[in-house]
Amino acid sequence: MEPTRRSLIARLSGGVASLAMLDRLLPMEAGAQTPPKRGGTLVYAQCSGNRRGGDATNTRHPYFMVDLITRSAYNTLTWVDEGLAVVNELATSVKAADAKLDVWEVSIREGVRFHDGSEMTARDVAASFELHRRRNFASQQIDRTEVVDGRTVRFFLKGGNAEFPYVLAEYDNVVMPAAEPDRIGLAGIGTGPFRIVSADPQRRMVFERNERYWREGLPYLDRLEVVNREGQMESAINGFRARQFDAVLNIDPRLTRQLQAEPDTELVPASSGDQAVILLPKHPGSPFTDQRIRQALALAIDREALVRIVYGGPRGGWVGNDSHLAGTDPMFVPRPVKRDLARARALLAEAGHPNGITLPTLYYAPQWPEMGRYFQVIQESVREAGITLPIEERPNDGYLAFRTGDRDVSKGKYHRFAYTAVGPRNPGISLFRMRGENNESGYWSGPGQDRYMALYAQAMVTADPAQRKAIYAQMQAIVHEEVPALLPAGRNNVLVKRPSVRGLNNHPQHWSIRWDEVWKA
Amino acid sequence: MLIAVLRRVSLSVLTLFLLTVFVFVATEILPGDALDVSLSADEMAMMPPERLAERKRELGLDRPALERYAGFLAGAVRLDFGRTLVSRAPVSDIVMYPLRNSLLLAAAVLAVAVPLAIAIGTAAAWWQGRSPDAAISTAAIVGYSVPEFVIGTVLVMVFAVWWPLFPATITANTRDPAWTLLAGGVLPVATVLIGSVAYLARILRVGMIEALAGDAVERLRLTGIPEWRVVFLHALPAAVIPSLTAMALYAAALVSGIVVVELVFAYPGLGQELVRAVTRREVHLIQAIALLSAAMVVMLNLAADLAILILDPRTRAA
Repeated sequence: MEPTRRSLIARLSGGVASLAMLDRLLPMEAGAQTPPKRGGTLVYAQCSGNRRGGDATNTRHPYFMVDLITRSAYNTLTWVDEGLAVVNELATSVKAADAKLDVWEVSIREGVRFHDGSEMTARDVAASFELHRRRNFASQQIDRTEVVDGRTVRFFLKGGNAEFPYVLAEYDNVVMPAAEPDRIGLAGIGTGPFRIVSADPQRRMVFERNERYWREGLPYLDRLEVVNREGQMESAINGFRARQFDAVLNIDPRLTRQLQAEPDTELVPASSGDQAVILLPKHPGSPFTDQRIRQALALAIDREALVRIVYGGPRGGWVGNDSHLAGTDPMFVPRPVKRDLARARALLAEAGHPNGITLPTLYYAPQWPEMGRYFQVIQESVREAGITLPIEERPNDGYLAFRTGDRDVSKGKYHRFAYTAVGPRNPGISLFRMRGENNESGYWSGPGQDRYMALYAQAMVTADPAQRKAIYAQMQAIVHEEVPALLPAGRNNVLVKRPSVRGLNNHPQHWSIRWDEVWKA
Repeated sequence: MLIAVLRRVSLSVLTLFLLTVFVFVATEILPGDALDVSLSADEMAMMPPERLAERKRELGLDRPALERYAGFLAGAVRLDFGRTLVSRAPVSDIVMYPLRNSLLLAAAVLAVAVPLAIAIGTAAAWWQGRSPDAAISTAAIVGYSVPEFVIGTVLVMVFAVWWPLFPATITANTRDPAWTLLAGGVLPVATVLIGSVAYLARILRVGMIEALAGDAVERLRLTGIPEWRVVFLHALPAAVIPSLTAMALYAAALVSGIVVVELVFAYPGLGQELVRAVTRREVHLIQAIALLSAAMVVMLNLAADLAILILDPRTRAA
């Protein structure tokens, strides 16, 4: 029987995680037994790379702030919690308005005010998404928005998407006071728990409590200072030991054993974290146009050694499956074939390289403290299969522009043989990243990509989670076979803090930590 | 006197001019121009010749070297070093505050190091050959020999971690007021200070030993002048004047050479900016920092020469 529009929406409301949104953001105690205390300054250092600071012309714009701290000044319509379940934030409801799941209606909270005192309306949401649908990778599926009334916005998508509420939680998708897309956000005004006081893109941002914050009684802290210590983890740890910093985020997972022994120190691991995507460019002349070479690389990398050497074992990291799904995702399907050097050599010989192959230089940036070690292990492990892999470190600043290249039309869609870090998301977003138009797939094309995207489109309008899981498994099987990109291993994010810092829950999406619930005892 | 001053100023201007030639040749003419360093080797190999030519045109690299140098020189005179390759931001804006911060750090170090080195060098010379001299000389050799990153790390462990008196890392912004930077900069200053005092004290000691053994000092002693006046009012100026050039060069080297200290303490100075510029292959930024650092050496050297001219009439005829 064909499902009716009403029955389908009802099933989605009941069954699909994306719609089962608990309103966790109602005022609550911040995860501690003693009542939270108001006031104080919290200073924390972050060791992950600020990919955009070097390109920033205005550090206050959410697109050019350190990714991590965007949510200190801004809010999104939804938020994903530490278990990656979607929760309303500035939205009060997110409903599919159409059986094809390509029209979504979002109601927004009343009484939410921006830092400048103006009230947030549906017009601000629509104006913000005019920018996001042009610039944010996950929002490009939004065809247009429509203001229904002062509190309601309708999103028209290019295709159905049962997991659309997760898209609204992406950290770039913040709500800003309405303005034209080329001007919006430049003032650094959001609805978030803290107002920006000062900003230095390379070094530090200082925030003060937003007295108008819509979550009553929050934030607890009067002041929040974020010190950028990308590529300088030792300096960050020295600052922590000298009590300059109350916490340090995104430390090298291998440092945990050493820090565990130190007094007045708590380590807070997240259930998961970022993984490295090694982009395999497929422009004319690239060796990665040959699927056999991609397969050989996938078979040659010693993923277990990566987890063991780089992350100190399964407590610090996990083996990837060459899709964007994190190892903890229930939809994750491990690669069916383990490391096989003989098969890798045979594939290289079939591809015309019986004596091995020298690949182009693989460029990486130290977006995480351990990345140098990560690529050294890869370099050494593939050498055993006859693959010579030169590697070169580039700085975080400007790395995004560097790796995506200048898109020379004479070569098709060009980008460098490089890497990027991706955080865990729901499958709807994660698997969408391997679409052909995205450089993370190396602009993958051909029948495999067509099948992959057809399955994706099918999954996005499939209400039944079990059926969707089966579709997601098929998509991962295609990726295992064609290896459009390499995602060999990921990390579990770890932060270190003083025990006096309470309510600081680590998050697999390090940018989604809720600073409004943090307080100091 | 005027002729001597003009001669030294002209020499400095000529040196600065030669420096601009050297920096330009080193960064733009030798193999590996701005295009090479902004592209990867693979990209260079892949890029069709017409696209390479187009990129060269965009960067102005298709113009004759002399014409490009003229543009570079005209910009350098106005402190306009062009824009960065990645963000297209004016180089002068990027360099200005780190330069100020490095000058600040160097000034703080010298403000303490010079009087301290004079006192220590004088004491060592006064007790030449005896145990205080041996102790000072040994300490100076050790202080000068131990790498600054080792001194910095030890100071952090002792005075920031074990005994939390000073910050372990500088959190101030690049454009913060000078006093904010200095307030957090005790350990970086102390780190550079140890090596600086050791170096300068050794120079002063040698000068003082020569001055104290000189005929002029001997004659003064015979006149019955108190020994402290002989040492501080006669021997010391005679020892300091020849050391001025060495001190000036050391001061200039401090501004551009404290990269390690800036990295250990995350101090927002010229050294950190230089490292960033080199890793990002920002040619114009590297040119600006190289030229400013070299100009600093020339200017401080000139200042020392002029000071010597004023203080020592014998040099005016030279």
